[in-house]
Formats: sequence, structure tokens, C-alpha cells
Amino acid sequence: MAEIDSTIEEMLVPYPDLVKKNRKKHLMVKDEAAACCPQIEANTRTIPGIISQRGCAYAGCKGVVVGPIKDMITITHGPVGCGYYSWGTRRNKARADDTTPKDKIFTQLCFITDMLEPDIVFGGEKKLAKMIDEVVAAFHPRAINICATCPVGLIGDDINAVAKAAEERHGIQVLAYNCEGYKGVSQSAGHHIANNNLMERVIGTGTERKNGKHVINLLGEYNIGGDGWELERILKEIGYTVNCVLTGDSSYLDIKNLHLADLNLVQCHRSINYIAEMMETKYGTPWLKVNFIGIDSTNQSLRQLAQCFGDEELVKQTEVVIERETARIAPVLEQYSKILKGKTAFAIVGGSRSHHYQYLLRDLGMEMIIAGYEFAHRDDYEGRQVIPTIKSDADSKNIPELHLMADEKMYREAHVHLNMSKEKYDELKKAVPLNYYEGIYPNMKEGQVIIDDANHHEVEVLIRTAKPDLFLSGVRDKYIVHKMGVASKQLHAYDYSGPYAGYNGALNFARDVVNALTTPAWKLITPPWETKEEPRSETHA
Amino acid sequence: METVATPKVKQVNENQCQQCMPLGGVVVFKGVENAMVLVHGSQGCSTYMRLTNVEHYNEPVDIASSALNEKQAIYGGEVNLHKALDNVIRVYGPKVIGIMTTCLTETMGEDLERLVATYRQNRGITTIDIIPVATLSYSGSQTEGFWAATRQLVVYYAKPAERHNGINVIIPHISPADIREIKRIFDLFGLEYTMLPDYSMTLDRPYGGRYQKIPPGGTSTQDIARMSGARATIQFGLTCPDNLSPGLLLEQEHSVPLHNLPLPIGLQNMDRLIATLEKLSGRSLPDILERERGWLLDGMADSHKFNADGRPIVYGEPELVYAFSSICVENGATPVVIASGTKSTRLTGLLATLLADADEQPVILEETDFAAIDDAGFLAEANIAVGHSGGKFLTEHRGIPVIRVGFPIHDRTGGQRVLSAGYTGTLAFLDRFTNALLETKYESYRELRKEEMGIREGA
Repeated sequence: MAEIDSTIEEMLVPYPDLVKKNRKKHLMVKDEAAACCPQIEANTRTIPGIISQRGCAYAGCKGVVVGPIKDMITITHGPVGCGYYSWGTRRNKARADDTTPKDKIFTQLCFITDMLEPDIVFGGEKKLAKMIDEVVAAFHPRAINICATCPVGLIGDDINAVAKAAEERHGIQVLAYNCEGYKGVSQSAGHHIANNNLMERVIGTGTERKNGKHVINLLGEYNIGGDGWELERILKEIGYTVNCVLTGDSSYLDIKNLHLADLNLVQCHRSINYIAEMMETKYGTPWLKVNFIGIDSTNQSLRQLAQCFGDEELVKQTEVVIERETARIAPVLEQYSKILKGKTAFAIVGGSRSHHYQYLLRDLGMEMIIAGYEFAHRDDYEGRQVIPTIKSDADSKNIPELHLMADEKMYREAHVHLNMSKEKYDELKKAVPLNYYEGIYPNMKEGQVIIDDANHHEVEVLIRTAKPDLFLSGVRDKYIVHKMGVASKQLHAYDYSGPYAGYNGALNFARDVVNALTTPAWKLITPPWETKEEPRSETHA
Repeated sequence: METVATPKVKQVNENQCQQCMPLGGVVVFKGVENAMVLVHGSQGCSTYMRLTNVEHYNEPVDIASSALNEKQAIYGGEVNLHKALDNVIRVYGPKVIGIMTTCLTETMGEDLERLVATYRQNRGITTIDIIPVATLSYSGSQTEGFWAATRQLVVYYAKPAERHNGINVIIPHISPADIREIKRIFDLFGLEYTMLPDYSMTLDRPYGGRYQKIPPGGTSTQDIARMSGARATIQFGLTCPDNLSPGLLLEQEHSVPLHNLPLPIGLQNMDRLIATLEKLSGRSLPDILERERGWLLDGMADSHKFNADGRPIVYGEPELVYAFSSICVENGATPVVIASGTKSTRLTGLLATLLADADEQPVILEETDFAAIDDAGFLAEANIAVGHSGGKFLTEHRGIPVIRVGFPIHDRTGGQRVLSAGYTGTLAFLDRFTNALLETKYESYRELRKEEMGIREGA
């Protein structure tokens, strides 16, 4: 404990006093003796000039939430940069299916209005409108997204009016997102903006419920490296009909029917909890926070899910699948964990993944000694019970909150959705944490560290002093730790590997981590003509 | 030229071929000793630029941000910029800070010169050079950003200086491996020179030693200051517009004669450099370079029968497009499509001269996108492509192999080590080019012959 405190002190030394004070609030060491989770500061402004890992509202809206919708064309309205940067980089896989043929999949294409100086001076609305016409003529998409970049809001282009006019011309939905990069404090703002628009305009407009006894949605799963496909495989085999995986490999058609499902599963709480909550309000659909990263956590999530329907057959089939898959995977994982047992990890990633991967690491005998998020809110750390106490500030007020009411026609009580009596549902709620997320804190162990919005400098100090064996992050940070002789695993795009979710995913992850930790390169750093005691001096200082 | 497609006949930019202007500027400041770079805009810009650079260079690339929010977008970003500078100075201790503007701050109309002057005054900063560069992406791509930042460095540092015997070497955005090769060639001629920028160590750092936040290497500011007294400038910038040309500035303001040359990629382009170096150094071609020229020529002769089958698409930044088109032409693989996402006033004219004797004239596309390149390549029966990773769709759609050069290379490793400069680099490139054609040949030879002879499988 004292050791970690001095590490944190060392880390804060170079900062000016105000920055030091600020950053301290974003740090927390787990103290099991403490009664409840101490408050952590999160989702507040990034300190200028320290190299944060955060992105912008555009990245959260286009890059994360709406970009992967496979049968929609997403147009970036702005100059050339942002569109390129968000072009296919998150590895959200999509494939053709019964309702979406191959020529209706547009996720690998990048469309920008390429605003030039005259557009900035005289406005880009006409160019955008023309572009929509051309895209409709050339591709016949089912619907279109327009994502705004920084200059759009400043010059006052009314993308909503352009979208509305285009809808009338073409008879398809054109959704406009005011996700200018300066909105909010991170990509989290963009998630919210995207959630709002999908909720207001798309969800609830479909009428076709998919066939099946138990129809579910899997929200906040982006099918990176095929994660969503592995989960669909498992869920289908147990007997669920997966209406939609939002938004990895999702289609506009399926999103329209989201409200016709019985239950929403929430994988990434941060990016999609808005839709889960708003659907609960408007349609009465209950939601269940799940975690399909790790064997034990996958099994637990599947068991909780099965309980939600009060269907004995479902519970039985769940156990059959769990037993068979665990028997298949566990012995192989055990071999890997012989190498990994006792190793430590440091994760700074996303707004949910650090929590998810704690379980998979524990399956392998590893511990996450430092866990951080880039853009999480307090509820992702401390649990949803803190939401009413989170003070809204100037930045969060800029993101519109939708105040929805129960839909007159389509609202049904949660127990009706789950096809059970009210009494039984009340009992179920005691056994299964429906409509709730406890955050990462309860799962941390004594002395483990939570860090919010960690920056380049802090990562460097923590790697040097806490000496984790494995660093889990995005690509931007991985080469620093390589330079410091520590293995890394990229948890945004998986270093072009995956899937890491579900049973097969656990195997892939274990194999990749073992490969990372045991590569011979780490042993060759000191040349034979130097002893380990005299580390090689700076080669070119 | 057979066809010069009019740019912007359509509004749609589908699969863009260029990136944004500050991205180029950032790389330049990575090539200055003890420099940090700060992007004045929303947080996302710096994060995206780090991502793109990190994926290409496979190195840590620290880019600070002033992290503007809605409030600053309306009331101005001064406070954030000053805080950002405070923190960069405290944590990184740089001697130079480059500030790139963005679409956001340019549209806001931020006056960077004033903001920086106020900062220096308020904080009493005298020992750190803070250099803003206007990089507005709605008026240029990363190519213009690279030239603009390089020119701004010259404007900032190059004051009237004593004449000296050194040479200025000004490069476009090439790989660290290419920079090292060009430096080796200059060293072989025994010339004293200043290369600007020089990110050959900072963005391709050898393993070993203590991790430093600002990696060692880069052009020193003293050397940049002395560029105005050099006896000549060699600038690899045939396509560089006059208003962004650092070499032209040195010539006009400081009377340093400018030798504006093509990149030494390709035998004839390299010969042009050698001729210039012989003149400047008074030395004749060093033995080792003569041998390297011989090896290259030997390779060209041996591979010509395969290369003649090549129908390349060459795309990317104008300066590289010209250089790689030259290699293709001199090896009998005349490009069928030459394209750039960047607008260049010079490229088309240069290509006309290069291709004057070609039997078949290529399609030339400027300010274009990959949708247009793909269409043109298909019509022209292209069978190989040369350019950055953005063209990977040519392989996915049409089975056309892409020889990766330029920036960014994010779907293959070692972007920083791709060597194409000098006789040695040209040969390395040529072998990759020829072998890609051979691979296609080996894969399809039997099928093609069967088709010709009307033999059907199982018949």
C-alpha cells in the first residue's frame, strides 16, 4: 500500500500544483477496509497539454456507435482529416445475412464531403445535399448517417435541415448527428449523441419481431475481431433468437425492431447504457449487464440470462452448453495458465473493457494491478447508484438528454416482456441484477489502483515502478511499453487478432498473451558481451 | 495526356486518398531536436494524429492537445492553449514547441501569433521557441502541412548568417530509412550539410537504453539558423508549391542557390543528385556508389522481361508519385494510372515530360479518391499498384497487389524501414515490384495457358 502511494507521488511530481490536485482526484487505491467506494472524478475536462488517450465526440459517434451499422452509409461532413482517421479502423466485422445482401454492406467505405475553403466561408449545406443525392443514386442505401466535424457547428451548417429535405426527396431516413469534436469532454459525448438519435428516430419504427421463443438484443457489442459472432453462436445454441447485436454487424432493419425483443443485454455499459435505459422507460424492456469476456464471467452471464425467462428448458440447455464448452476450453486454458500464473497486468482502455478483462485474466491466474478507463463516467467505476448524485457541468449539459415517456401503445411492463407474473419478476430481480451495473470497483482487490484518463507520462511512470508483466491498451501506447521491455496486448483492435469474447475468444486471448510474454526477443535485450548488472547504456544520447 | 480527369465532377469523396494538413506538420516537428508538438484544437485531432503516426512508425509519438471544448470554441482557446503550453513545458522540458492549428481553431479565427506572444510575455519565457504553423485542412492535405511546417521553421530561425561551406538538404515526407540513405550518400561525398527535417532517429529509434520522453535526434535549431548562410540548398521538392517552398525562401531572402531536384528514387533521379553532388563537392562518384549503380543496373537488366508486364497504378503524395512513376517508366512498366489526393500545380506538367516517349499515356487524376482510382485502374487493366495502405482495397476488390511505399502504412509492419532512396533503395524497391509481378505470374500462369488452349478442368 505504502509502495503504491509513493509511486503515485512520484508520478505527480512534474505537474504544476493545480494539475497535481486535479489528477489526484482521478486516482484511487482500493481499500477493502473502507465502507464504500470512494468518489473518483471522471468524465471531466481533459487537462490541456498532457497526452491523454481520449478522442472526441465525432470519434465516439461515428467511429464507435454508428459507423459499424452495416447497411447505412455514414457521411462525414467536414474537411478531409476526420473521415480518413475513422475509416475502418476499429475492425468491426460485418457480413451478409438473410436480410442484408453483400451489396448493401457499406462499412468498409469512407464518405466525406471534403469541405474546402469556399465551403467554410459560404457554407457546406449545398455540397452535403448534393453528396446525399449522389450516394443515394450510386448505392441505394436503406438509410444515411451524417456526422458533423468541428467546423460544421461553427459555421452554422444546418445539417438537420439538409437531412430532413433529403428524406423528403429520397424517401429514406437521413439521420444527422451534431457530434462536432469539441462537444463534451471525450468520445463519450459522441456515444450519447448517437444513442439519442437512434432512440428517437430509428428504434421502434419496425414491426417485425424475429421468430423465436426468446428474442434478445445484445447492446454495446461492436464485433471487433468477430466477438459478436462468437457470442451469437453461443446464444443461438442455447435457444435465444438474437434480434440485433448493436452495433457490431448490425443492420438498420434490425435496429428498427429493437423494441420487439424481450430483453436487452448490455456488454459495453459506457457506450450504450443510454439506449438500454431509454428503452426501459419507453417500452418497459428490462436490461441485464453481462460480461462475456472470460470463462467464469461468460458462464455467470449465461446463467443469469437463463433465469430471466423462467423457462426450465432454457436453464437446462444453458447448463449443457456451459458444461460442454467449459470442458472443451478449460483444459487448454490450464496449460496456458501454467505460464501466466502470478503475472500482472495494467490496463487503460475504453469505458468498460478494463472491468471485463479482469475476469479473463483471473481465469488465467493473472491479476490486473492497475485498471483505468479513458472516458468512463463515475457509474462505470462506482456503480449506477451514484448516477443521481453526479453533478452535471457545462460540458455534460451540452449533450441533450431525451426525456422520454412510456409509449402509449408499445409500453409493456418488464414482467410482460419476460412472460412471467409480476410476483415472479420481483423474485427474479432479487436474484439477478436487472437494470443495474455495479462498476469496476467491487471487483478490485486490496491495493489495486484505479486511474481515470491516464496520460502518456503517467503510463510511463507506472510501467517503470509497478512493473506489470503485461500492458493492455490501444495502439497509441503500446510502443512506449515495448521500448521499456514490457509485453503489450492491444485491446481496441486486438493487434489484428480475435475474437476475444466467449469461449473461443478466451482461448485466442490466452494464446496471444502467452505469445506476447514468451517471445524470445525480451531475453535478447542484453547482448552476450554485457552482464545483466550493467544495463546497456543509452545508445545515442 | 490521354485524360486529365476534371477534379470534383462529383461531390462525393469516396475512400479518400489524402489526409489532413496538421498531420504532415506534426511529422516535421518530430524531426527537430528537443521539440514537442501541440495541436491546437479538440482532443480528437491529436489522438487521431497519434494513431496514424504510431501505426506507421511503430514508435511512441507524443502529440499534445489544447483539448478545446464547446466553451472555448465559442469564447476562444487562449486559456487552454496557455495551460497546454505550461504542462508540455513542465512534463517534457522541450526547447522547441510546434503548434499546429486545426479546422476548429482556424474556423474560430484564432490568432496564434498573438496568443503565443501573450504567453511568452506573461510567463517570461525566453529560452523556448514556440512556433505556430497554420495547418487548415480545408485548404490543404498532409503534403502542404509538411512543407508549411518546414518552411515555418526556416522563417523562424534563418536570420542573416555568415556564409559557410555547408549545404541545406530539404526533404518531403519520406521514410526514416530513406533519410538515412540520403545522409549516407552526402557523407560519402564528404559534404557538410544540414538535413531538415531529420526524424530518422526520433521516429525510428533503436532499442536500448533509458526511455526518454523526447527521443534523441533531429535537426538542431542552431543548424537551422545557419541554413541562411549555406552555399546551396538541395530540396527534393519538384512538386512543392512556391508559396510553401523552404528552398525558394532561402534563395529569395538569403541568396542561397536552390537546386530543386526529384527525390533520388530511380536511377535517373539518383544520377541527377549525383551530378549535383559532384559539382558541389568537387569530388567524383565514390567507388561504392558506382558499384551500387552497377548492381542496380544489373538488376534492371535482369528483371526487364518481367517488369514489362507491369501495368502499375501509382498514387499518393505528389513528390513520391513523381519519383515512383520515374522508376516504373525507366523499367519499362509505364504507369497506366497516376493519382494523387493532393492538388498539385506541378505534377501533371512534370509527368508530361517524364512520359513524353511513352506509347500509352496514363490516366492522371489529381485531388482524387480511391473510388476514381479503382475505376480508372480497372478500365486500364492495371495489375500492380504502388502507394500507401489506403490502396489495400485495390487488392481486396481487384486482386491487384499493392507495393507499400509512402505514408501511412498501417496494415503492414515497418513503414519506417521501407527503403527506396539511392541506387540501393531503388533496387530494393524494384525487387519488391518485380517479385509481386512474378507472384501473380506463378499463381495464374497455368490457368491462363489452359484458358488460351480451351482446356477445361475435368473435360
